[in-house]
Amino acid sequence: MRPLTQAILYRASQAVLVALLVGMLTFLMMQALPGDMAFRIAAGRYGYDAVNAEAAEAVRRELGLDRPALAAFGTWLWDLMRLDFGTSVISGAPVMDEIRHQLGASLQLAGAALALSFLIGPPVGILAGLRAGGWLDRTLLVVSTALRSVPQFLMGLILIVLVSIQLGWLPAAGYGRPVHFVLPALTLALGLAAVSARVARDAMAAVAASPYYAFGRWKGLSEGQLLRRHGLRNIGVTLVTYLGLQFAMLVEGVVVIEAIFSWPGIGHALVHAIFGRDVPMVQGTVLLLGLGFVALNTAVDLTARWIDPRGRGAGEARS
Amino acid sequence: MSELLKATDVSVHAGAEMLVEPVSLALTAGRPFTLLGETGSGKSLLAQAIIGTLPAGLAAAGQVTLAGRALDLARRDGHRALWGRLIGVLPQEPWLSLDPLMPARAQIAEGHAFVRGLSWAEANAAADRDLAGLGLQEAADRRPDQLSGGMAQRVAFAAARAGGARIVVADEPTKGLDIGRRDEVTRLLLDEVAAGGALLTITHDLGVARRLGGELAVMLKGRVVERGPAAEVLAHPRHDYTRRLIAADPASWPQVPPRPGTGAPVLRAEGLSVSRGGRRLFDGLGLDLQPGEIVGIWGPSGCGKSTLGDVLLGLARPDQGRVTRGAGLAPQRFQKLYQDPPSAFPRCLALGRALDDLVRLHRLDGARIPQLMSRLRLSPALLARRPAEVSGGELQRLALLRLLLLDPVFLFADEPTSRLDLITQAEVTGLLTEVARETGMALLIVSHDPELLSRSADRVISLASPETAGPRLRHQAA
Repeated sequence: MRPLTQAILYRASQAVLVALLVGMLTFLMMQALPGDMAFRIAAGRYGYDAVNAEAAEAVRRELGLDRPALAAFGTWLWDLMRLDFGTSVISGAPVMDEIRHQLGASLQLAGAALALSFLIGPPVGILAGLRAGGWLDRTLLVVSTALRSVPQFLMGLILIVLVSIQLGWLPAAGYGRPVHFVLPALTLALGLAAVSARVARDAMAAVAASPYYAFGRWKGLSEGQLLRRHGLRNIGVTLVTYLGLQFAMLVEGVVVIEAIFSWPGIGHALVHAIFGRDVPMVQGTVLLLGLGFVALNTAVDLTARWIDPRGRGAGEARS
Repeated sequence: MSELLKATDVSVHAGAEMLVEPVSLALTAGRPFTLLGETGSGKSLLAQAIIGTLPAGLAAAGQVTLAGRALDLARRDGHRALWGRLIGVLPQEPWLSLDPLMPARAQIAEGHAFVRGLSWAEANAAADRDLAGLGLQEAADRRPDQLSGGMAQRVAFAAARAGGARIVVADEPTKGLDIGRRDEVTRLLLDEVAAGGALLTITHDLGVARRLGGELAVMLKGRVVERGPAAEVLAHPRHDYTRRLIAADPASWPQVPPRPGTGAPVLRAEGLSVSRGGRRLFDGLGLDLQPGEIVGIWGPSGCGKSTLGDVLLGLARPDQGRVTRGAGLAPQRFQKLYQDPPSAFPRCLALGRALDDLVRLHRLDGARIPQLMSRLRLSPALLARRPAEVSGGELQRLALLRLLLLDPVFLFADEPTSRLDLITQAEVTGLLTEVARETGMALLIVSHDPELLSRSADRVISLASPETAGPRLRHQAA
């Protein structure tokens, strides 16, 4: 499996590159933010009211903030190589522990949203694609366009107003019990399903119009047998690739949705860390997200390869 | 002889327009039935109406009786239950008709399992037997992209029949195949007939019709113009169209009088070696082309015919050897005529505009266009149309016109007529050779049809490798 090892090596080197770039960029951006860093950190620790120049100076000395930037970056990189993410300058807890807690909450939400969107989007899309141009297909086009054009924060507010306030069925915000998942996950899932249904629909319509689908019919297969044998796998690559992409887009949505539904996740944490100039926290979070993308892409690549083992350009070899 | 299928007064129409006028025919066990005609003659539509695979928007009328059941063709829902069980449809392009991600065995076994109701273990065993019967044991675990065109054709054949269908309908089963594979497919179909099946073949290929024998119906513009036993119809055609069709078959073309080459060569290739994908295509090939000389290149699919042309035109590099052009000849006088005329023209531009652009680009004499149009028997009205609005033959002649404007000294014609009908092919090839003689242009013509080459070229180069020994060619040179 030479190409497989090649693919994994490629992704591994990508991960290293991502780590370096992410570390460097977050570091530079944090340096470039306006305001005195020591003052901000002190405010994060003791509250804005209790901060004065002395406290800020103490923080500056304690953290060595007047060191040259390059030295600070080198220290961070060195620690990273020993898998030490450092400690939060605000709470004093190890960054790893903080992230583990918050990332867990975010992943739960993202996972629930993705699962929900997967249950809605692709099945509807497949049904629409099988009868391209039919009433379901036309309805789907309208509904998905409408859902897609509603920004997620608005969708979240609409759902809160409708389901929590008007109907009183579900809590508007909170974390801890399964019911708390429903609204934020649904908000995210609707946006995702709107697009994944269209992607599934297009892939399915293309497969259903293909000569091999027609040939399957002529072989005597029923529509159900056709879908199972020749439909699902052939739309698989498109779907898996797209779902991987969606997971990445989810992160963007999660930041917004966590704010609306007071979800104690990583988006929430990231915003607070930036306000408090908690550089180790920001670097750790962004790094983990970046590496997460690389891991996700690797998983998508491998799955796509497993579904469709044809080598690239194999079809061109003969004509 | 038992009658397996009887079609009565089958017609096809799109709205009020009648595309196929009522035809009745019967398929009997052990006797092939062939529909012969050109593109647009309605032969495929007739077959599709009978087996219920007409595209949406077209309607059929008439009746089909098989296995004691009568189907009214005006209703679209009656055929589903017959596919695979009674009627096996052999697809036109087997490569595209096989599931790209599924191994060959599974594609055949599903007919045995779903249609005949065997268990999967039995179905797989049956599929392996089918494959072995076609000499394809080694293909069982391969995906379509790992099969050659001929193998894919045989796998599709086994898959079409796995459900137990005894009536095989083959729509252009030899389209795009070279002569060796064409005969292989014909043999496969005949075996099926010999085993007591019925066969309906749709083809534009006279050679296939001749080899299949049995009953033959010749179609023209939606009507059957002549029918009867194949041997008789082909030997003593009564209808004028059938006569023209037979005359257009390369096998009955008159021989172009060979002409000794004169003058300094316009193109000389020495010791050319080329490989693609790790495979040596040809080795140490040498070639001299003199003005007005016509050289044919023959070889099976994938042997490097087109690659040789690209190397001669300087579009691809040889591994070894070199190509020298005649001194003082402008680069645009070395030209290529493409296989698929529609893809050689801008789709949204009127043809006249496309020609004018060329005239402006190379500062040519646009006044020559009308004169060339009449030489190539093209109506001036065509210039106002777009590529999709003229026939393939006309478009290929326009492509020829376009490059004649550049006064070519060398023309590489890459299967210029393989997408054209027989009569059009004869016309275009005839014009091509005439023009080569008139203008002193050296013509290198590629084809997979040895008859076509030996009758139109001064000499023929065979690119067949020793293991795939090609047919015997006249005037063979290498």
